[in-house]
Amino acid sequence: MGTVYAKSEDAPTNLPTLPPQEPHAAHPSHKPESKEIFLDGVKARVDKIHVDGLARTKDDIIEDCIRDLFKATDFQDVLLKAHRARLKLDELGCFKNIAVFIDTSKGTGASPDGLEVTFNVTEYKRVTGGVTTQVGNNEGALLVGLRAPNIFGRGERVQVEYSHGSKRTTNFNMAFIKPMRGKYRPIFTTSVFQSNAEWPVSGYKELDRGLLFDFGFHSTSLIKHNIQWEATIRDLGVLSRNTSFEVREQAGLSLKSSLRHIISIDLRDDLIFPSAGSLLQITSEAAGLGGDVGYLKNEFYVQGNYSIAEDFVLQGTLSGGYMRGLTNDMKIGMSDKYYLGGPLSLRGFRMRGVGPHSDGDALGSLAFWSSGLHLFTPLPFRPGRGGFGDLFKTHLFITAGNIGDFKISDQNFLETLAANVRISYGLGIALRLGNMARVEVNYCFPHTFERGDQTHPGIQFGIGVQFT
Amino acid sequence: MVLVDRIQIELGAQEPWPKDVKLFQPYEVEQILLPDNANCLAVQAFLKMCNLDFQVEPRANAEAMSPSGKVPFIKAGAFVISELEPIVQFINNKGITLTDKLDPEMKSDMRAYMSLVHNVMEVAELYICWCDKETYNEVTSVRYGSIYPWPLNHIQNRVKRASVIKKLKVLGWYQKSMSEVFEEVENCCQALTDRLEGKDFFFGDKPTELDALVFGHLFTILTTPLPNSHIANTVRNYPVLINLVQRIEKDYFKRETKH
Repeated sequence: MGTVYAKSEDAPTNLPTLPPQEPHAAHPSHKPESKEIFLDGVKARVDKIHVDGLARTKDDIIEDCIRDLFKATDFQDVLLKAHRARLKLDELGCFKNIAVFIDTSKGTGASPDGLEVTFNVTEYKRVTGGVTTQVGNNEGALLVGLRAPNIFGRGERVQVEYSHGSKRTTNFNMAFIKPMRGKYRPIFTTSVFQSNAEWPVSGYKELDRGLLFDFGFHSTSLIKHNIQWEATIRDLGVLSRNTSFEVREQAGLSLKSSLRHIISIDLRDDLIFPSAGSLLQITSEAAGLGGDVGYLKNEFYVQGNYSIAEDFVLQGTLSGGYMRGLTNDMKIGMSDKYYLGGPLSLRGFRMRGVGPHSDGDALGSLAFWSSGLHLFTPLPFRPGRGGFGDLFKTHLFITAGNIGDFKISDQNFLETLAANVRISYGLGIALRLGNMARVEVNYCFPHTFERGDQTHPGIQFGIGVQFT
Repeated sequence: MVLVDRIQIELGAQEPWPKDVKLFQPYEVEQILLPDNANCLAVQAFLKMCNLDFQVEPRANAEAMSPSGKVPFIKAGAFVISELEPIVQFINNKGITLTDKLDPEMKSDMRAYMSLVHNVMEVAELYICWCDKETYNEVTSVRYGSIYPWPLNHIQNRVKRASVIKKLKVLGWYQKSMSEVFEEVENCCQALTDRLEGKDFFFGDKPTELDALVFGHLFTILTTPLPNSHIANTVRNYPVLINLVQRIEKDYFKRETKH
């Protein structure tokens, strides 16, 4: 077990032994036994930082994480910065456990207001693994994973994951992840993957094998960027003899090479049932740098949450996407297109039930928009308040959207977006499933729909992370 | 699922031959390979012999579109049927047949000869396309990969080649030398010649699906330019078969080629 001792760079300057705003530090009006102390009034500086329990983690990345702690000038600052340092250490993904101890500085070279901060860390073993469950896209999956964290001592890790979903989806993914030093917290990921998915509602199955390079960084502390390059060989197969011929015509192999930029700003206070804050995601993708798939694609997702009374949250979402082909001899695959409908998007319709169909198989479109207005309230009479009952919420919603091959160059573009809008509403119960998914059971009423849409009035069950 | 499919095909059989029947196959000029071309031509010849209307629809991904993964396939109304024998069966169910005058013994003879052609001519064609280095490098890999972008063309060529070799190994052909393969072709041609001797077609004066199949394979072998033309020369030694090919070409395709 190695230990890093980081010492304050500059020699201690003569600090006053007593905090100057003494009257604030101890409030006289309070009872003597419960003293309120203003921590920001207590002068303090960090003399020494110990990090115990380091074996293969390199010193430089640890120093980057804890350096800020030396800049603290009062005790509150020390606490905040220690907490932040702890978060940064946790973000490295090298430690199973991090404990922080703060003590007064003793021994030679100790300054009068000096403190010693000790981080007690436990590193991960060389190889860890596990079997977990994963939820997404109205599907539950079993995930078997093997990880080699922190292989070269600077947070690099290799992970191998295999998941098997309840809807015959299988995924295999092997990734090498390298966090880098710097104020934008850059992280580089390269992965090889194979995924297999069946889409009975569209009559096809697809086997993807590919490579993904991802470079993620934060331009400010809240704005996250990902720049990705993906090369995938995709094999689209016909699911059954009854599959529509238009889907059959798409069968075969295609090679997609695309560049993608994703921005996400997440200011929400909770992932599953936020009560305040908003989320914005913008994805731009250009496919066609090699390969035979070519398109330009832009999409966004906005979610806003407003607390109108205690535990009454109004949530509004809006998402949209627009794509167009590059040239006539480049393809757009079925999995690249947009679909609308289902328990995660436009409720009251079947999965991919809105938009063009051929013999019952959803064909997808080049543009869509969808929006939802939700009111989450506690259960009536609040059974199990403060405990189990808080996992459930009553859910009232109205969703609207439209899909089609809209063109921005079209003169009445906005009118075509608004024409043939599909609307549905309903109510139900939403449930928090751990901190990973939201489950919804709704009774839906499709209100406005077109001929050819597959409606699903009545009870609809949805499970996932991102809902419209 | 299989039972449902079968019932549907039986049900579909009662309907008359639709007007917009299409035959899907790979592009003839730049893509199709010898064995696929032979099978596509055989089906075309059979449909023409039955006097049924159809349109040839070339598609780069015809192989992937086919329900059995083999070309050609036809789309008749809502039905998609691939390969010669199932197509023959489908058309028989509509009451159209070329073998109504044949007795059961002759029918089983015909099936035996058809499987001989499949098991010798077709396999020999696969062998030449994928195992003869010169043919593979100059013709097969260029044509088969032509529909894919780089580097998928190289990957797909390898994948396909491996699967063909696997098939040849199972059939016991992969170990054969080139001259042994030609010997097999010769034996097959000899057997067909013996059967045909003195008649217009294999079973009397009317063609059957066997004639369509033999025509498909021999015509393709005779007309496809390959670096190794030995197989075409082998076939040319059987004038009785050449005559058959020319007759079918003239009667049903309304054109003439010198072999």
